Amino acid sequence: MQFSRRRFLNQVGAAGGSAAVYQMALALGLMSGDARAAGRTTPGATPAAGLVPQLKGARRSVVMLGGGLSSLMAAYELERAGYDCTVLEAGHRIGGRNLTLRSGDLVDEMGHQQRCNFDDDPNLYMNAGPARIPVHHYYLVNYCRHLGVQLETFTNVNYNAWVQDPNAFGGKPVRFRQYITDARGFIAELSAKAINTSDLDAEFSTEDLERIIAFLRSYGDLDTDLLYRGSNRGGYQQPGVLAPTAGMLEHGHVHERLDFSEILKSDFWQYRMYFGDGEDQAAPLLQPVGGMDRIVDAFVASIRSPMLTHAQVKSIRLKEEGVSVVYQHKGRHREIQADYALNCIPKHLLVGIDNNFPSEYTTALRSIGRGRMFKIGIQMKERFWENENIYGGISWTNQNIEQIWYPPHNVHGRKGVMLGAYTWNPANAEFFARMNPEERFAEAVRQGANVHPDYARYAETAVSVPWHRMNHIMGCTAMWTEETRRQYFTYLQTPLNDRHFMMGDQISYHPGWQEGAFSSAHHSLSELGKRVSAELGGAA
Amino acid sequence: MRAPALLSACLLTLITAAPAAADDYSVVPETFIYCTTCHGVELRGNASVDAPRLNGMEDWYLRNQMLAFKHGRRGTHAQDTNGLEMQPQAAALTEHQIEDAVAFITALPVRTWTIEHTVAGNVDRGRTLYATCGACHGPQGQGNRTLSAPRLAGQSDWYLARQLEKYRSGVRGYDPADTAGAQMRAATQVLGSEEDIQDVVAFINTLPVN
Repeated sequence: MQFSRRRFLNQVGAAGGSAAVYQMALALGLMSGDARAAGRTTPGATPAAGLVPQLKGARRSVVMLGGGLSSLMAAYELERAGYDCTVLEAGHRIGGRNLTLRSGDLVDEMGHQQRCNFDDDPNLYMNAGPARIPVHHYYLVNYCRHLGVQLETFTNVNYNAWVQDPNAFGGKPVRFRQYITDARGFIAELSAKAINTSDLDAEFSTEDLERIIAFLRSYGDLDTDLLYRGSNRGGYQQPGVLAPTAGMLEHGHVHERLDFSEILKSDFWQYRMYFGDGEDQAAPLLQPVGGMDRIVDAFVASIRSPMLTHAQVKSIRLKEEGVSVVYQHKGRHREIQADYALNCIPKHLLVGIDNNFPSEYTTALRSIGRGRMFKIGIQMKERFWENENIYGGISWTNQNIEQIWYPPHNVHGRKGVMLGAYTWNPANAEFFARMNPEERFAEAVRQGANVHPDYARYAETAVSVPWHRMNHIMGCTAMWTEETRRQYFTYLQTPLNDRHFMMGDQISYHPGWQEGAFSSAHHSLSELGKRVSAELGGAA
Repeated sequence: MRAPALLSACLLTLITAAPAAADDYSVVPETFIYCTTCHGVELRGNASVDAPRLNGMEDWYLRNQMLAFKHGRRGTHAQDTNGLEMQPQAAALTEHQIEDAVAFITALPVRTWTIEHTVAGNVDRGRTLYATCGACHGPQGQGNRTLSAPRLAGQSDWYLARQLEKYRSGVRGYDPADTAGAQMRAATQVLGSEEDIQDVVAFINTLPVN
């Protein structure tokens, strides 16, 4: 479907009035045009136009609560428009869940503070939070361009990676390509048989039927008898006889077909098989060179406003003329009076902070659940997976670790940090969260050995992050239901008293994605801009 | 931060940084900031992260429970998701640090303005059911140290309900070394249903906090 710029602006106009069109047009024009004009910006250089209309001499102050990406974007844009900004972050670092762990970094987990013991090497890092950039994530990609964050290709789906399930193929891993090819072959053969024996011809023309059969033959690589007898899409048996790579000096031999009943037993088809077709997961994807937190670094280098860490908010009070925030910093209480507060503190921690919000607001904040996710990064002393023809991508296993990720960067380097577990099932996150870091390492290695038998031999050190146990965060993806969304999403998105703006990926339809945070921040900035314009009588 | 001289002109629109006007809040030692991450400002409790109110708890009870967590007498049952979250926190502390934590918590003024009621039930039925509870916890829910029975009045009501549920199902009070817990486990058998629990907690909500 063609989604033209004009149609987009018309839709925004219909939803938000002409001010919204203005804001969005500014965004669309600015971010690509600006980057073209400025090239890679030097830190501190201020491009002419931003997302927020210039104050032009008027003064307005904004306090950003929480140092996540939405606050960084807001501070960057507001500062450029002449606002006085302050960012307050309770934790030891700016960036929220955009967290890259390298040698010596602190993992501030409740009850299990750890240090990352990876070798001091720019290639040895773990993206503990977001780790992939879909190229259609508009703000994310454009801020990377605008702020000069260098990007490289991220491999998400790898046909050479493994699929392993204790309940199928005797627990033996099979190649991703083989599983998919054989599953398609069997389904295509089954469909062709069904069509030939049914009275589908009543519904389809002869030409359609011919083309359906041709489609199935093509889809599943069926022979002229409409039988699936294996396919080279599933890979040849390696090595070849006359050359190390099969199919070079002789016909390659396709693999024995997998047993269809075993294919069905595996959980892989449930969502992992088509996972890479997802809108946010399909190739091509990108990652910043050197770690996801290069994005945080780029914002921080471009923001001059004060950004305090170890500044824990105690109280948020909406007043007639603004917002009053009390926080503790360096053993003292401080109070900030600001015209506006933009707030990305996790909603489940915000409700533990003193406030004068109406009770419905608190009820709304409490209605959103907190996600549980777990990642462990393991430094491997050799890039053994490359000997298995695996370069980047994900192996899937139906064990608690769920996924094994191979670093797409530093190909043929000496060592590598791989993701030894990335759990989406909350029960698996809990399984690991209950262990201490050493136990998690041992367990992840034990399970990983069911995919790569020599795994333990290479594992040197690990660092683990259960997001629902991280100090000042205590949750991963915000868990909305259709019901809570219907009830509270617009309400929480609407500035309270025209002064207090909830934001972050938690106030988006895309929690857990950086683009959700940026989109939410832009919404807040637009709403804020409207109010300031009204106050200044259109002067801004 | 901008120089204070600049602020006078348009105070309302500029950010100011100054000591909090009222002593509504207590300065938390850096070591114990993480307690407030979950248990909230002034340790008021936060149901969204399953962290009960600690403000107003007795020192002996806090000590007993922190030690119970530390030594695995509490928070090790596989069904006790929240207890399992607290357990490593206490395990990471030395007994000396536990004393420091108890001292920090009990030094906080009792902040009655942070108490909120979330449990609804039949207070009259609750009053009748409470007769058994009152034998140890006192008719006003004021607690009785001699009997190892903590104060109930003013505690997070959702937490009281959840603990009664845990005792009833043996998720808490399972360790023979936890004598008070074992007693509590036996005592909760008089609460036959979830409704009983709601009612008795609704009654506790009516008891005076101080």
